[in-house]
Amino acid sequence: MTTYNIDSRGTACPGPITDLIRSYRKAANGDMIILLATDPGVIPDAKSWCGATRNMLVDAKEKDGEYEVTIKVTAKK
Amino acid sequence: MIGGGAGGLITSSKLSAELSEEIKQEKVSITLFERAETQEFQPGYLEVAFRGTEPQKLRRPTEKLVSPGVKVVHAKCASLDLDNHQIVTEKNQEKYDFDYVVVSTGCSPDYSQTPGLREENMDFYTDADVSSRIYKTLQGIKSGRVVVGIAGLPYKCPPSPNEAAFMVDEYLRRHGIRKNVDITFVTPYTRIYTAEPINQVIAPLYSERDIESRTVFNTDSVDPVKKEISSLEGDTVKYDYLFLTPPHKPASFLKGTNYSDEDGWVKVDKLDMHITDHDFAFAIGDTNNIPTSKAGVEAHLEGIVVANNIAMNITGRGTKHLFTGRTQCSMETGFHDATFVVGTYDRPVEKIKPSKINYAEKKVMEHIYWGSLHGHYEWLFKYHFKQDYFSESPAKD
Repeated sequence: MTTYNIDSRGTACPGPITDLIRSYRKAANGDMIILLATDPGVIPDAKSWCGATRNMLVDAKEKDGEYEVTIKVTAKK
Repeated sequence: MIGGGAGGLITSSKLSAELSEEIKQEKVSITLFERAETQEFQPGYLEVAFRGTEPQKLRRPTEKLVSPGVKVVHAKCASLDLDNHQIVTEKNQEKYDFDYVVVSTGCSPDYSQTPGLREENMDFYTDADVSSRIYKTLQGIKSGRVVVGIAGLPYKCPPSPNEAAFMVDEYLRRHGIRKNVDITFVTPYTRIYTAEPINQVIAPLYSERDIESRTVFNTDSVDPVKKEISSLEGDTVKYDYLFLTPPHKPASFLKGTNYSDEDGWVKVDKLDMHITDHDFAFAIGDTNNIPTSKAGVEAHLEGIVVANNIAMNITGRGTKHLFTGRTQCSMETGFHDATFVVGTYDRPVEKIKPSKINYAEKKVMEHIYWGSLHGHYEWLFKYHFKQDYFSESPAKD
């Protein structure tokens, strides 16, 4: 299992979701993607993306103006 | 300067103007490395693909776009060694030393990421001739399904896949065959346009024009036999005609260097575009990794900022400028209406209603494009962008 740590802090939409999609392309089922961002839109976007792609949103939290989204890749064919 | 596209030309032009005295005194020389003998107006590829503009109308000889005082070397860069301040060209492995270097080598379609896509797709990114294949194909369509959209990230000109959807729709309606042809737009993003304010503008137009959208569709491969696109998750979309936007890649000599990321995009400071740990080296436009659109306007504005700062370092005159991340991408929505995607690093994209005035503005920019590469219209850029594409740094270094 590989963990992809993606730092999208300082970028506004579509930066974080673009970084997430690019990492997802490289990942395999079972891998984890941890996305750091400062754009508050990252949490609803990641939730929507996980729901639509059928990947697992493990955690989404905010601390001191930064957001951390953890996704487990489960939906690749 | 490595690269003679929109970014390389404006940067070298502004440098030659700012440093004209130093060039006359032979204290400074500027060399532009550009392998191509002609340049193309890349935003015009959409017009070639969907309105039948002749490819040659988009071309100009490179030499005519270069300002006085700039020497052109028609060679492809094989390597850039920042530690030793040296460029090596592919042609005869010639070596060139430099004090400052600006990388502006753009990006190009990368078909290697998507099996089957190269064989089936026609794009409006590779060059004008390739774009013209789409128009020839459109002229033969009687019925079926056209699929447009985003096959992978990143890609240049963010609005262009949506523009393709609108322009295909316009073509088919003008020729009275729209009712026989379905149009499907695919995108890996969660919205038809990823920035919500613009999505709010164009999503209703997709409904009005009966353009189907498949969001969160991560194109994985294309099956030429089944005429089917598959997603990473195993979903499929059928097509008869495929005009997808391929993922893009930077110039090959950048990949594997200590100043680029794993895909070869050059790591720079987003405010002054200096390459990480190298204050004498810069990367502008599509080839860097800053979080803005990959678009000609970005290359232009970043080039003006970088040229100002290099000239300031050499002459000791003026103030350092910092790029604000300003973007200004036009998006045609069909039938001579357009909106703009406008924002900065700190200011979210605005919601701008499509209009004929916006379309006229887009056309004005097209007409002044070649002259703007010589820096002739910098006053207009400053007026039009209300100077918010740079801020002045309080420090001079």
